[in-house]
Amino acid sequence: MRIQLLEQPLNAAAAHGEFLVEHGHYGAVAAFTGVVRSEAGGVDYLYLDWYPGMTEASIRAIADAAKARFDIRAVAVLHRCGRVEAGEPVVFVAAASEHRRAAFEAVDYMMDRLKSEAALWKREVGDGLDRWIEPRPEDAASLKRWS
Amino acid sequence: MAQVQVLFFGRMADITGMRKTVRDADSLVGLRDSLFAGDAAAVRMSVNQVQVFSDQTLADGDEVAFFSVFSGG
Repeated sequence: MRIQLLEQPLNAAAAHGEFLVEHGHYGAVAAFTGVVRSEAGGVDYLYLDWYPGMTEASIRAIADAAKARFDIRAVAVLHRCGRVEAGEPVVFVAAASEHRRAAFEAVDYMMDRLKSEAALWKREVGDGLDRWIEPRPEDAASLKRWS
Repeated sequence: MAQVQVLFFGRMADITGMRKTVRDADSLVGLRDSLFAGDAAAVRMSVNQVQVFSDQTLADGDEVAFFSVFSGG
């Protein structure tokens, strides 16, 4: 299991390549990369505040839960913290399994939980914009799918 | 009174204007209420990096954190 909280840019293509080389032999690899949206040019960057130690533990708990819930063999979660420019990857999640369904579902599940349960606080900053992002009702609805 | 280290994350760092401080306190909720008079209901709490949802007695050296709801991913 690879869990990383990164203050430096996240190279999602490299992370995906490494995961594929290491775990592709299982037969199925699913991956998701989240990228900071500029929101029609209004957002210059996100600032993700984090609590060293607790943030990593919260991400690891989500990955552990995915491994326990789905028939998957390997998991990677790489998450940015600090300043992330619009257009840059902010999160990379991957799962490997012997069959595609488990890998797809595990990635979907981890993303839904990361949105609500990873100890991170997101701030949008742009032209005339500087605000903390609150969880959206859609995030809660997405999380509820797994309960 | 216990002497505890207090950390602030997310919106709570803005509200208090602090990232870190040291305070004397007996209880977690008492400490929270002394720092966030009008906004206490929106404040999440942890002690020694474990999120807690009710009051507890604090001990010397505890690391307390106050933060807003998570918004990762």
